[in-house]
Amino acid sequence: MLTYSFKRLVQLFVTVLGVVTLVFFTMRLIPGDPISAMAGDNLSGAALDQMRGQMGLNDPLPVQYLTYLGRLAVLDFGTTVTTKLPIVGLILGALPVTVSIALGTIFLTVLISIPLGTLAAYMAHKGNRMLDNIITGVAMVLDLMPPFWTSLVCLLIFSLTLGWFPASGTVSLDDPAMLLRRIALPVLVLSMAQIATLARITRTSVLEVLNEDYVRTARSMGWSELHVLFRHALKNAALPIVTVIGLSFGNLLNGTVIVEFIFTLPGIGNLLVGGMNSRDYQMVQTLIVFYAMIFVAINFTTDLIYRVFDPRVQF
Amino acid sequence: MNELRPIRSALLDVRNLHTHFLTDKGTVKAVNGVSFQINQGERVAIVGESGSGKSAMAMSLLRLLAYPGKVVSGEINLEGRDLNRLSERQLNEVRGRLVGTIFQDPMSSLDPVMRISNQMIPPIMRHLGLSREKARAEAISWLDRVGIPDAARRIESYPFEMSGGMRQRVMIAMALSCRPRLVIADEPTTALDVTIQAQIVELLKELTAETGAAMIFITHDLGLVARFAHKVGVMYAGKLVEFGPVKDIFARPRHPYTQSLLDTIPPVDQLERRRLAQIPGFPPDMKLPVTGCAFKDRCAGAHRRCFEVAPELEPRGHGHAAACWLPEGLGAGRQMERALIPPMEPAADAGEDRVVVEINNLHKHFTTRSSLPWRKPPTVRAVNGISLRIRKGETLGIVGESGCGKSTVARLLLGLDPATSGDIFIDGMAQMVFQDPSSSFNPKMTLFNIIQEPLVVTGWGTKAERETRVRELLGQVGLDESYMHRYPSQLSGGQRQRIAIARALALKPSVVVADEPTSALDVSVRAQIINLLVDLKQKLRVSFVFISHDLLTVSYISDKIAVMYLGEVVEYGPADEVFNNPAHPYTQALISAVPIPDPEAEEARIQKPLSGELPSPLNLPVGCSFASRCPKATDYCRTHKMVLKPYSKTRETACHYAS
Ligand SMILES: Nc1ncnc2c1ncn2[C@@H]1O[C@H](COP(=O)(O)OP(=O)(O)O)[C@@H](O)[C@H]1O
Ligand code: SF4
Ligand code: SF4
Ligand SMILES: [Mg+2]
Repeated sequence: MLTYSFKRLVQLFVTVLGVVTLVFFTMRLIPGDPISAMAGDNLSGAALDQMRGQMGLNDPLPVQYLTYLGRLAVLDFGTTVTTKLPIVGLILGALPVTVSIALGTIFLTVLISIPLGTLAAYMAHKGNRMLDNIITGVAMVLDLMPPFWTSLVCLLIFSLTLGWFPASGTVSLDDPAMLLRRIALPVLVLSMAQIATLARITRTSVLEVLNEDYVRTARSMGWSELHVLFRHALKNAALPIVTVIGLSFGNLLNGTVIVEFIFTLPGIGNLLVGGMNSRDYQMVQTLIVFYAMIFVAINFTTDLIYRVFDPRVQF
Repeated sequence: MNELRPIRSALLDVRNLHTHFLTDKGTVKAVNGVSFQINQGERVAIVGESGSGKSAMAMSLLRLLAYPGKVVSGEINLEGRDLNRLSERQLNEVRGRLVGTIFQDPMSSLDPVMRISNQMIPPIMRHLGLSREKARAEAISWLDRVGIPDAARRIESYPFEMSGGMRQRVMIAMALSCRPRLVIADEPTTALDVTIQAQIVELLKELTAETGAAMIFITHDLGLVARFAHKVGVMYAGKLVEFGPVKDIFARPRHPYTQSLLDTIPPVDQLERRRLAQIPGFPPDMKLPVTGCAFKDRCAGAHRRCFEVAPELEPRGHGHAAACWLPEGLGAGRQMERALIPPMEPAADAGEDRVVVEINNLHKHFTTRSSLPWRKPPTVRAVNGISLRIRKGETLGIVGESGCGKSTVARLLLGLDPATSGDIFIDGMAQMVFQDPSSSFNPKMTLFNIIQEPLVVTGWGTKAERETRVRELLGQVGLDESYMHRYPSQLSGGQRQRIAIARALALKPSVVVADEPTSALDVSVRAQIINLLVDLKQKLRVSFVFISHDLLTVSYISDKIAVMYLGEVVEYGPADEVFNNPAHPYTQALISAVPIPDPEAEEARIQKPLSGELPSPLNLPVGCSFASRCPKATDYCRTHKMVLKPYSKTRETACHYAS
């Protein structure tokens, strides 16, 4: 366990360093910089240059890079270019929205796809492939629809035409009802992209387990089908399912950026979009560090959950 | 039919059971009208080749068949209730409670992510209505009875923390824990070593006798049957073709199939060696309808009537019944028809008698990677100083429990692994035949290319010469030349093994190493391969190293036997001497564990299975490596290492007290 934690820490360090470096240089490859984005055409070239000098943007790239790393090392994440607000504060403020969307999506996905996949596996085990075929068909259709497109369609139908969900309105933890109504559609959209995949994985792994000898042993001891499914089959099928859920977080973070933008939700994704638009190097870099840390944290959690489900997994 | 009428007290009365598998390719009629009875406390063995419907029949009794299997019709009366008419819910009160089940593969029959306690205790609570504490105590006492040391602690283990033998004990404890009236055991020892097999069989016998439970024991090993069954049923193509008391079945089998099966087993008394009986052909495809007797295409006694009408199971006296038109089957004279194996001709000149393989003080140590860099990595001493010689045309059998280093010796001989120390001298070349030939063949190559591959690799001969050689090899292993253009997938297991042997012989090696070449084969096919090896030995004067855990076969085919234990040879000598008069306590234990296909002889034997399991080769004991399991071990043994020493003129053994 000690070596394992150490390995994970090294992994965190290497990931963050790599990502930071990549982002640092690609940001500077994109045409435009924070000063020109902020000023537009209003200021003279000399004035802009002076501001750049103040921010150290005229230094050679390697110097800028090292300065940045130096600040990072003492956990100085800086402020935004325009409003001079501390970036960490902004992220913490936007976090609840994104976390609600992400957790909501995972919750809904798991709630629907695991029972559905299990049922499909059970029916297939008894020789009935109907639900199997339906899930495969639906999955194929859903896979063809990008979240961007589904978001727009949902927004159009459920918010703008039917008016079931508000398209705008302040979102904060103080008003949970409003928060729920605002994030309902994004959660739905993102879940749609995940449900089919997870249901299929669940179905495959449960079906495999149902053919295992120990399932027959459980039946031979007089356990009902339901008991066999829940006590033996699901628990043994959990490893691939947990892996897929862990991996789907990647897609999910991607998705939150899109839905937050389309549904105008003040989450991390929107901060990222804003940061990109204003070429706020500091903002984008800090957000990326943050995302990288989330990834490593999810990996770590997945591993821990592995251990809960399978005593054979050792670190 | 009078003798087959159910006796009132019959515990289980199965009548006309039919089970089908409704597959896409057609209906497989796996069980075709099976009827039999079992009385209280009776042990019935069901034998037959794989695919004969044994498992399908047994699983049908409790409706444990997975899709697409289905019990189509029949009555399954258990204590007067027809299980076939019970609802799933009612049946769940019978499963585990009245009938316990033990499966073949202990490695996969227990839930890997659940503690033993969580698998054993809840069924006891449910079926016997006990509280959790009481049920736990009950479970522990069962684990104790099946010989799990430190049961109170081990009950909290996971299956992966136990060996195969231990897991099968847990399985038995679980199946018996609710005090069932009937135990169904489907090949419960097939996946285990001979010594463990003997322990498990002994345990099942004791426990069922104690609790008065009846047992259905499914196996393809006739020797095991003789050891402990009261009655035997022989299945062929989904039907019982013979049923009767064990002694009758062995002393006077009436069905040609049973008779042939018995004759495929190498005899214990090998003074007069005859070729083993072979059953030609294959069992019928159970998807196709059968007219007449299902065995007719393979039966030496088949006549017109057999092709027209199927014989029914008819009484033959003393509770014995057989399904054959001939009252005595092939008759008692059948054994005389099998050819005697002539004794090995003495070598024509001295050069013919030379040593072709010599191994001196061979060691192979595997060093595993250490978990922490500063800790010394553990070393597995798989082969720990062995010396052997094989003469031209001689067959050396190597026996021992799995994990004792047999296969490592084979790999070293073939140069597949480098030795840690010691010398191997081979005059000529060594070639290999594996247990499962299919995995060593490229499925996309024709058999011609598979056989000629070693020739091509070594640049042997011209194209035409190679073709002639392949034809010659096919002839030697008893396959028609037309097989040249087929692919491995079109062959049966036995035919694939013939191809493997042909390929091994292609370069005229001086020694062929065969590692468990018959273990994956069915009894009748096994006999064919053994006969083939015996022929080749006679004809070609090739030396063989025959590695197997099947002692009866090894002693039948070998000239010399080396018994291995924990990487060492503990006894070495002529096959018949070692087998009939073992000197080392380990050899004695191994041989007493071999089931003998003769119920009378089995009864007379002292049954004391070797206790314990092979210790880990990680930390070898200082003294005699067998001391931890040896009934004769003394303190001197535990502190003093013993090396192989002459025991008689022809034999060597490594025991302080062998004399
Ligand atoms: N799941 C299955 N699907 C189709 N056929 C099967 C299935 N299981 C067994 N069978 C067929 O049923 C017959 C009997 O098999 P089985 O009872 O396993 O034989 P045994 O136990 O004697 O080896 C064989 O022909 C086998 O191919
Ligand atoms: S009925 Fe005929 S074919 Fe069948 S076993 Fe008897 S003799 Fe052989
Ligand atoms: S040396 Fe001792 S422990 Fe070893 S086999 Fe002989 S009697 Fe048993
Ligand atoms: Mg079977």
